[in-house]
Amino acid sequence: MRHLLRNLGLYAVAAWASLTLNFLIPRLMPGDPASMMFARFQGQLQPEAIDALRLAFGFTDAPLYQQYFTYVGHLFQGDLGISVAYFPANVTEVIATGLGWTLLLSGIAVLISFALGTALGVVATWRRGGWLDSVMPPVLIFLGAFPYFWLAMVLLYGLGFVLGIFPLRHAYSDTLAPAFSGEFIFSVVQHMVLPVAAIVIATLGGWMLSMRSTMVGVLAEDYITMANAKGLSQKRIMFHYAARNALLPNVTGFGMALGFVLSGSLLTEIVFSYPGQGYLLIQAVRNQDYPLMQGIFLTITLAVLAANLLVDVLYVWLDPRTRAR
Amino acid sequence: MSRRLLMMCLSLLSLGGLVHCSKSSQEGAKPAPTAATPGATPAAAAVKTTALTAAQEQQASWIRNFNPLIAPGTARFPTRAGVYEPLMIFNTLKGEFVPWLAEKHAWSEDNKKLTLTLRSGVKWSDGQPFTAKDVAFTFELLKKHKALDFSAVWGFVDGVQAKDDTTVEFTLSRSYVPGLIYIVHQPIVPEHKWKDVADPVIYKNETPVATGPFTEVKVFQNQVFELGRNPNYWQKGKPAVESIRFPAYPGNDQANLALLTGELDWAGSFVPDIERVYVSKDKENNHFWFPLVGNTTMLYVNTTKKPFDDVRVRKAISMAIDRDQIVKVAMYGYTRPADATALSDAHNRWRNAKALEEGDWTKLDLAKANALLDEAGFKKGEDGVRVGADKKPLSFDVNVVTGWSDWVRAAQIITQNLKQVGFNATLKTYDFSPYFERIQKGEFDLSMGWSSEEPTPYHFYRDLMSSETLRPVGEIAARNWHRFGNKEADALLRAFEGTTDEAEQKKLADQMQVIFVQNAPSIPLFPGPSWGEYNTSRFTNFPSKDNPYAKLTPNSSPENLFVLTEVKPK
Repeated sequence: MRHLLRNLGLYAVAAWASLTLNFLIPRLMPGDPASMMFARFQGQLQPEAIDALRLAFGFTDAPLYQQYFTYVGHLFQGDLGISVAYFPANVTEVIATGLGWTLLLSGIAVLISFALGTALGVVATWRRGGWLDSVMPPVLIFLGAFPYFWLAMVLLYGLGFVLGIFPLRHAYSDTLAPAFSGEFIFSVVQHMVLPVAAIVIATLGGWMLSMRSTMVGVLAEDYITMANAKGLSQKRIMFHYAARNALLPNVTGFGMALGFVLSGSLLTEIVFSYPGQGYLLIQAVRNQDYPLMQGIFLTITLAVLAANLLVDVLYVWLDPRTRAR
Repeated sequence: MSRRLLMMCLSLLSLGGLVHCSKSSQEGAKPAPTAATPGATPAAAAVKTTALTAAQEQQASWIRNFNPLIAPGTARFPTRAGVYEPLMIFNTLKGEFVPWLAEKHAWSEDNKKLTLTLRSGVKWSDGQPFTAKDVAFTFELLKKHKALDFSAVWGFVDGVQAKDDTTVEFTLSRSYVPGLIYIVHQPIVPEHKWKDVADPVIYKNETPVATGPFTEVKVFQNQVFELGRNPNYWQKGKPAVESIRFPAYPGNDQANLALLTGELDWAGSFVPDIERVYVSKDKENNHFWFPLVGNTTMLYVNTTKKPFDDVRVRKAISMAIDRDQIVKVAMYGYTRPADATALSDAHNRWRNAKALEEGDWTKLDLAKANALLDEAGFKKGEDGVRVGADKKPLSFDVNVVTGWSDWVRAAQIITQNLKQVGFNATLKTYDFSPYFERIQKGEFDLSMGWSSEEPTPYHFYRDLMSSETLRPVGEIAARNWHRFGNKEADALLRAFEGTTDEAEQKKLADQMQVIFVQNAPSIPLFPGPSWGEYNTSRFTNFPSKDNPYAKLTPNSSPENLFVLTEVKPK
């Protein structure tokens, strides 16, 4: 318990540091949002419009430290400000449009990838030298070498555009309204297949290989020999004795991956016009939308921290040694 | 797909950029020509045929916002025209103002008073009558909230008065005829709905009450929205289209894919090699029209710097540029080389033959370019690079935005061309923000850039030559990035502001062109196409080369109102 409490303190410090960085980094970038907005209309707006835009976005020339205190103050009230790119919507509202879809898409992708990759790793190592062990790793490494937005494009082109098996875009059919009906859920699943496949294909190899390499080490341990000598069932040895102990590095990885779920599927979302968070971040950067950038970074940061906390708890449960002291 | 394209896509997607950015990632993802089953996707087949499907904005998800007064582009298309309407609409192709909510306009003798007569019988979509009070109210809102006054109308207007139900009078602080467009293009909002809005600057107006053809929000989800007809629309029998659907496409790639699958009826995106990629898929229904009425792409020359302060050097640079190659290689042949007046086809009727004749410096002529540079005192050194009087070789940068692939290709050709006449030119690519900051502050040698788009050449030349728009280097200038001011031009511009006489305006514009041609304050490269594509399998009567009643592009408001009201179901 003390261990967890101490970690909580560390998390608080990390959260503060990232909040501050979130505040500073966008402001160190050259240019300002009003000019960016103005430039989007290449020649169609009057020069005076820049001033109007600045006024509308409420830019202040207040000293940085004052802006910082206002920012932190608003943050604690849950007010993330007004987005520039999606003016005049609130940042919280903008993020809300995409967060759920992103969590769903990447969450499922990471879960599938982790579960499948880890299982494949366990089985492959158990039957070392078997076909699974000799064929899968090189194939998965090869596939993993492609960036996932590229795999996404290939899937979109092949299965979506040429063969027309899967829809080309969006999270559900445009003719449906969101509802808890079988039809809607089926549509969501159908629309999720390709983007999830792209992420899973690209990341499966990592899970499998890391599981495989720790399994190899664990299988050489004396207690495995001991278990074999005791005549325990192979299944029991494989899962309870070997896999559980080999799982730790993968659990760490899983925690990290969960944290990056929010930012990780960005390009895949764009390829499939998925109404998630990824495109929002790009829009925010393109338009120098400080409030939106801060809001998105904040959700990502908090997600990473939360995921790490979760891993900490899992660790304590999986490995009694961390409970000592 | 080559590795290079991939990397380009990746860097583009991650670095961002503006419209052009998505252009180039689109090139990366261009589907091969052999594979296509139009309409084969489940999504495309399910779309209702009564709704016109259009793509204009690039967004991954929609935020419900129909406020026509805030920054153009932040409210959902077509809020500024289509939901709300302006008083009159300038038709770029015809070169005339078309009466809309106002039936006619009249200037006073001294051009300091503008009277607009409104159409009677126009109703808001909730059935209330539209009157002159609404117009006056809208302009008063702009006065009260500077952040809404995007055309800076209150910079030249002194007061607005509703004389009676159908007459509005604008009093101007000086005679300013070119101001007409800013007054009549202002979307008008209903007083009875907006007088209670606490802060119109951040008001999202989720359920609009307006005069336009499409005012009913039928569906609003974050990946698609649909607008239905205004039951009280003042043009009887219009719009013929029942509703318009807008699926969200985060970029050109996705919009173009929807074009290819036959899902989109109307779009305004850049499609590379469109004949092969789009038209050939369905020759009967897939059409495009790219009239050259956009703004002119320029090579801006920093006239405060040596040797660019010398007009001979500017002309020589221009003569060394192979525009035909730029048009062919960088622009897919969608445009033509610019002439020395720099005017696009939108200003064809203003073009001065005499100025054109004198303006030989936009034609490729290496011999003449070399001769001009010799004459200006920049002799070629032993290594073929020209040196100035200070014995320093003429080296400079050509700035362009990273990822705007058409411009980058053009700039590559330009630097090659300039090397041939003895300049040591280097291509410099910047991310958009630093690029734009440099160009606004005048901290560059040569830079690609765009010009302004207005009904008359007045603003075009004001932004290129007026000393009023001149700012010192280091200070942000919204226009006149090349820092060039000319007293003669100032006088002509002043005179233009004060006259409604077309013959007189033409004469003044002629003289402006002569001054531009003589001084070459910046180097025009090519006029910009106005992108527009349409599919006639469900809807007809889109503007086209054979039926040029307006611009086809949905990107140009309020002109897209012409298309919104004229398109018909098949």
